[in-house]
Amino acid sequence: MYKTRLGTAMLVLTLASVLSTACTKRNDNAGTTGTAGSVIRVSRIDLGRSVSADKTIGGSTDSFKPNDTIYASIATEGSAPAATLKARWTYQDGQVVNESTQTIAPTGDARTEFHVSKPDGWPAGKYKLEVLVNGSSAATKDFEVAP
Amino acid sequence: MGIFDGILGKKGNTPSAAKPDFSNVQSGGSSTAPAAPEPEVTNGSGKTYVVVSGDSLSKIAKREYGDASKWPRIYEANKDLIKDPNLIYPGQELKVP
Repeated sequence: MYKTRLGTAMLVLTLASVLSTACTKRNDNAGTTGTAGSVIRVSRIDLGRSVSADKTIGGSTDSFKPNDTIYASIATEGSAPAATLKARWTYQDGQVVNESTQTIAPTGDARTEFHVSKPDGWPAGKYKLEVLVNGSSAATKDFEVAP
Repeated sequence: MGIFDGILGKKGNTPSAAKPDFSNVQSGGSSTAPAAPEPEVTNGSGKTYVVVSGDSLSKIAKREYGDASKWPRIYEANKDLIKDPNLIYPGQELKVP
């Protein structure tokens, strides 16, 4: 008789513990979702020789000529009251070609365009575009300039 | 001696010593997202400056304050980043108080 009551009590306590843990986890997830809503993520980088009004690249390429203006279209997801996007262009062994920054306040998917040109022509070689979001590296794209 | 001269001579003529000059690169950009207000203010009390090739603390002080001798202000604000005030590197983000 005592054994049966003790077994029932233990079963009830175990069930209560499991239910309590499940409820706690659900609350943690809700908090995480709220935090994630205020950050942005780079989903895509396209390079090309021209950009349209919606900041998309017409003919995507990663090979350019010395006299080209090089456009980069960066697609981001998410929203933030202020997010700093930085485009860092480097040449060959890491020599910094140019850095430019835009601080945006996206409310959803967005496209941000950066472009660089060099009046006397780009030296041939391999280049890299690194995109940083709020100072942290988010994505890179390699390209080359060939004569 | 002749051997060393040859080695030193070859080293001195290394073509990789000359780096291309990107100082005349022009840049720009735009976004479908609205611009956030006051993009340069990042720490509430000043702005940041990204070091480019050829910069020194005194050059930055001259540009920001109009007085090169005020470079210690920038050095003091960035002691966590700058170990030697004569050595700053392209890409470093410096606080300009």
